[in-house]
Amino acid sequence: MGDFASAFTSAVHGGLDKVLGKSGTEAVLVHMEMTNNLPDPAEFHKKLLALFGAQGTLSLERAIVKDLAIRLSWSFALLKIESGFDFSETLRAIEKGVRAS
Amino acid sequence: MNDESRSQRVIPKPDSQRRVPGSGSEDLVETRIASVLGLKQFMQGPIRTLLIKGLAGTGKTTVALEILKAAGKGKGAYVSSRVPKELLETHIPAMKETLQDQEFLDIRLEDASSVLDFVMRLTEPRKYRTIVFDSWDALAKELDQKERLRAEKTLMALAHNSGAQLVFVSEEPGATTIDYLVDGILELVMVEEQDRTVREFIIHKLRGTKIPQRKYIYTLLEGKFTFFGPYTIPDYTKISKIIQRPDIGSSYSFGSGALDRLFGGMIPGSTLSIEYDENVPYSALRAIEYPPIINFLSRGRSAILLPLPGANDEIISSILVKAVGKSIVNERLRILNILRTSDQKTASLPKSATPQEIHEIVANETARLRKKSIDKSVLLVKSVSALENLFASDLDSLLEVTSQEIITLQQSQDAHILFLPKDSPIRSRILSMSSSYAKLFVRDGTVLMFGVKPHTGIYALQHLEDPISPSLTQLV
Repeated sequence: MGDFASAFTSAVHGGLDKVLGKSGTEAVLVHMEMTNNLPDPAEFHKKLLALFGAQGTLSLERAIVKDLAIRLSWSFALLKIESGFDFSETLRAIEKGVRAS
Repeated sequence: MNDESRSQRVIPKPDSQRRVPGSGSEDLVETRIASVLGLKQFMQGPIRTLLIKGLAGTGKTTVALEILKAAGKGKGAYVSSRVPKELLETHIPAMKETLQDQEFLDIRLEDASSVLDFVMRLTEPRKYRTIVFDSWDALAKELDQKERLRAEKTLMALAHNSGAQLVFVSEEPGATTIDYLVDGILELVMVEEQDRTVREFIIHKLRGTKIPQRKYIYTLLEGKFTFFGPYTIPDYTKISKIIQRPDIGSSYSFGSGALDRLFGGMIPGSTLSIEYDENVPYSALRAIEYPPIINFLSRGRSAILLPLPGANDEIISSILVKAVGKSIVNERLRILNILRTSDQKTASLPKSATPQEIHEIVANETARLRKKSIDKSVLLVKSVSALENLFASDLDSLLEVTSQEIITLQQSQDAHILFLPKDSPIRSRILSMSSSYAKLFVRDGTVLMFGVKPHTGIYALQHLEDPISPSLTQLV
């Protein structure tokens, strides 16, 4: 669990960084009041949606999931990143996988 | 090409007028940037992001504030990385009210992430329609290339999602990353024209918007942005009786406040030469031709007109009759069309009349009309171009006769206005004898005018209210 939590926190920063840059990421996390705590995926998704809309949120969440997959050495093929992507569901699947391994 | 037949765009209906005597703003009618040029569409939605670029002093902040004003009270935010609000209000006092009506964020000491956070706070509640960054470069220059691009993409995404319009002000002359991201780019430049500075704005792009014209002249008179659309031919059907203007001391009025302010009236015995480029519409020249004639006639004086080539005598007469009445026109005005056969007959002119013979007719008519003038003064308004066309093979004689007329007139109480094409072969000789000299030319579709002798600023000539009298707005 600890591995997933720290990897997810890092992936949020890493994924957002790739798209929004360091200042953009910092601004988003400050704005969402999520600088120190682990974001709740559903809450995080909702807040991203308010700022960037559906398409922007999808791009950012995919970037986060890709970053997380790299950190945990997961194959992208195991994740539904391209079609029918659901952020919370994908994170739950990864977390479950981490626990099982 | 017949100027009258050129298709003209309708000047946007003026929404306000301000009058400050002597500043040239008497004729200034605001033609708001937001109501024309596709920027109407900018305010309505399709253009979410706009870059306003130009060197220091070109008026970028004023334009940005005009756009902010158009967003509506309380619906705009101004993010300043350069100056505090109080200083900006001092720099552009005309925009003080706009600055007070809108949100103002001073980010001079903020970093990029804080500024992006500010933007999120402004855009998320969807309260603000327009957010101006003045200037974006000041902040962007602190970021490396990749980081800058990502920050700009973040801003674009925030703008597109929230529906807010982001206006970036930039002093970077070259293309930067943001040039490729924004929906529209306006560039403000100052160009030298006839030893004077003219402001011009260039529309480089407005995505999804038809751009009928890319360059426009503008002025920052009274600290407000006013641009000039292409010259529009006046509607002479809207002529009403003209109110006569009194003499200005010992000088005759031009019959137009704008012309009087520019030249200070016509000194008896003086010759004013109006030089014009070939693309100046005749109706713009008539804005200088008609008012002094009308004023002379309405004050009980007489006038002689040798019209511009291609002028229709009946139309001229009907315009002047509308302005001063038929009996006055019949009694104290002579329209002498030297190219017209009937005038040659009336004046007993042979078909191949010489300049001297024409001169004699003008002299006889002047003497006849002088008797009818209340103070014996006569105004002579002549098109040199019409005479040049007639005497193309004998320009020396024409110059000789014209010189004689100018010298004779100097000893009289009469006034003389000559219309002179820029490429006239006798131009320099006539100009050297003229007491005053003004030039008209066209840039970006706008008719511009300035005095060479005496030296004046440069003005945009329009017909804003009165189809006969010109409106002259100073370009500053």
